[in-house]
This record gives sequence, structure tokens and C-alpha cells, in this order.
Amino acid sequence: MDLRERKRDGKLGHLPARAPLANAYVPFQLEDPPKYEARKALVRGTLYPGLDLPFRGMVNQKEKPVTPTTELQALGFAVQELALYLDTHPDDCEALQLYRKYQKMYDAAKKQYTNKCRPLNHMTVTDDKKYTWLCDPWPWEYAANKEG
Amino acid sequence: MFIYNKKLQYPVKIARPNPRLASIIISQYGGPDGELGASMRYLSQRYSMPFDEQKGLLTDIGTEELGHLEMVGAIIHQLTRNLKEKDIENTPLAQYFVDHTVGVYPTSASGFPWTAASMQVKGDPITDLSEDLAAEQKARTTYDNILRLSDDPDVNDVIKFLREREVVHFQRFGEANCPETVSSLYFDKYRHYNFILKGLLLIKTGKTSL
Repeated sequence: MDLRERKRDGKLGHLPARAPLANAYVPFQLEDPPKYEARKALVRGTLYPGLDLPFRGMVNQKEKPVTPTTELQALGFAVQELALYLDTHPDDCEALQLYRKYQKMYDAAKKQYTNKCRPLNHMTVTDDKKYTWLCDPWPWEYAANKEG
Repeated sequence: MFIYNKKLQYPVKIARPNPRLASIIISQYGGPDGELGASMRYLSQRYSMPFDEQKGLLTDIGTEELGHLEMVGAIIHQLTRNLKEKDIENTPLAQYFVDHTVGVYPTSASGFPWTAASMQVKGDPITDLSEDLAAEQKARTTYDNILRLSDDPDVNDVIKFLREREVVHFQRFGEANCPETVSSLYFDKYRHYNFILKGLLLIKTGKTSL
């Protein structure tokens, strides 16, 4: 891969021009880096192609089947990745806008999820007749993958 | 405060139980470079961080690590479900089984129980962030080693996700440790802070006086 391709894919960062001695440096990720779509980001484990550095080329090729749960996971993951990025790049306006966009999509997906599947937390237990918080399955159980 | 969301960060769906794999993956639950240590390290270090960027990052990554702890617990739980005694005897899980049955206990693969001695909170931002950079690489290597030892596609799917998170966290901790992140902020907000921070500023910016 030549330098131009590496730059285009967001694989090159920025180091201080005159760095003080005796400090550890990681190249700064440049602003507005290339990004995957949320569903691809989820299976890759990062929103950023530039940071996608797998062990021996082992990557998850197949995206997760679309269910209310994986929808929530993909959108929640995009928000998390943008949050960590914004923690160190608080002035990147594009990233802030994308973060807000994914937040809104997450909120909409959360509404669907709590209506169709189950409560997500104690603030979204909405049944007046039954305490649905206790309903199976719990997230760590194999059966959690069967529905939703 | 923390509120539990009844979902995993990433799906864990392991079709075939496998006591041998459970006996090595437990290290990322309670081993020296595991997710319990990671979450405790970052959530404890954040109190002595001087800058908002660092407080935010340690809070957000520390919280994510709690989610990873839950995912590793889910892997162990699913790898050990429906096992009979004869499935466990003569496997490396037998030693674990005698102490914990198939409960999920924070220990390393070699049997050393989780200890806070595998992490540090030094109270110095440069020291703590440098430890965090090393911690992410150690966890990444552990996941590399699990991928070397595992040929279960369901397990590896999740391990690849967790491994990649270590790469991203390393990047962010490195950025939080960079003088360009913090040097402008020193002047605005922390000139009055105390002599330790003034000393840090000198180191970070290469200036000879304030």
C-alpha cells in the first residue's frame, strides 16, 4: 500500500513537529477520519478503517443479522466510538454532528426495542400489570440470541 | 452513577460448549491483563486526572470495560453450559471446576485469583496514562494468544471484537497523553493549580518558564 492510499484510508496520524523528550507518543488521529457504517463498524470492532488492525488478517466479514437487539448494538457502538474520539478531539464539528445523528437513531431504535422486546433498564419497564424486568432471557444466556 | 442496560455491547452466541477454551478465556475475566482489572484501573485513575479530556476518556473507557467484563463472563457461561462431569474430567477445566463448579470467578488461566496488585493508580497523569498504554497492549496480546489457541468460530468472532477495542483504546490513551491535547488548556485553566501541574507543563511543552 503506498503512502497516498494509507492517507486516504485514514491510516496515517499526526505527530508533534517538535516533541518534548521523555514522553510516550501515539500519532494523533486526523480530524474527520474515514468511517464505516454502523453495522460494519460493530463486527470490525471499530468505526474507523484507519484503526482496523486485525491479528493475522482475521476479520469478521459477515455483519450480524438485523434484529432489534443488533440494531441497538450497532447504533450504540457508533455512539461509543464517536464519544471516545470526541474525548480527545472535542473540536471536530463533523464528528459531533455524526454523534448527534447516531444518538437520535439510537433513541428511535430503543423505543422500538422496548415496545417489541423487553425493557432495557428500570426506566423502560412500561407494563402496568406485570414486572417484566425479570423476564428471560438475560443477555449472557445463549437463548438471548433466539429472539430479537 | 451506573445504570444497567439489559443487553451486551456485542452479541455472544456460542453454539458448542468447550471446557478447554473456557479454562483459558477466564484469564480475560480475572487475569492480570483482563477486563476486571482494566475497568478498576481506569475508573480509579480518573479521580486524579487534571484535564477534562482525560477525566472523560477514563470514565468512558472504564465503563466500556465493564461491558467487556460482562461479555467475557457470557463467553465462559455459554462455553460451560450443560456440561456433565465426564465432559470436564481430564480437561484443563477440572482444577477450576473443583473450586467453582461452573460459576464465573475472576481468576487467571493459571489459577491465580484476581488481585489489585496487577494494576496501579499512581496519581500522576503521565504515569497513569503510560500504564494504560501498556495495559491495552497486554490485553491485546492476551486476545492474540486466545486466537492462537482457539479454532471455534463463534468464540473467535467475539474475541476479534474485544481485541480490536484494545487497539482503539490504546490510540485514545496515547492522544490523551500527547502535549498537543493538553498544552493549550494548561494556560487557560490550570495556571494556578499547583506546583506539580506547573512542573508537568514544563515537561509537556518544553518551555523553560511559565
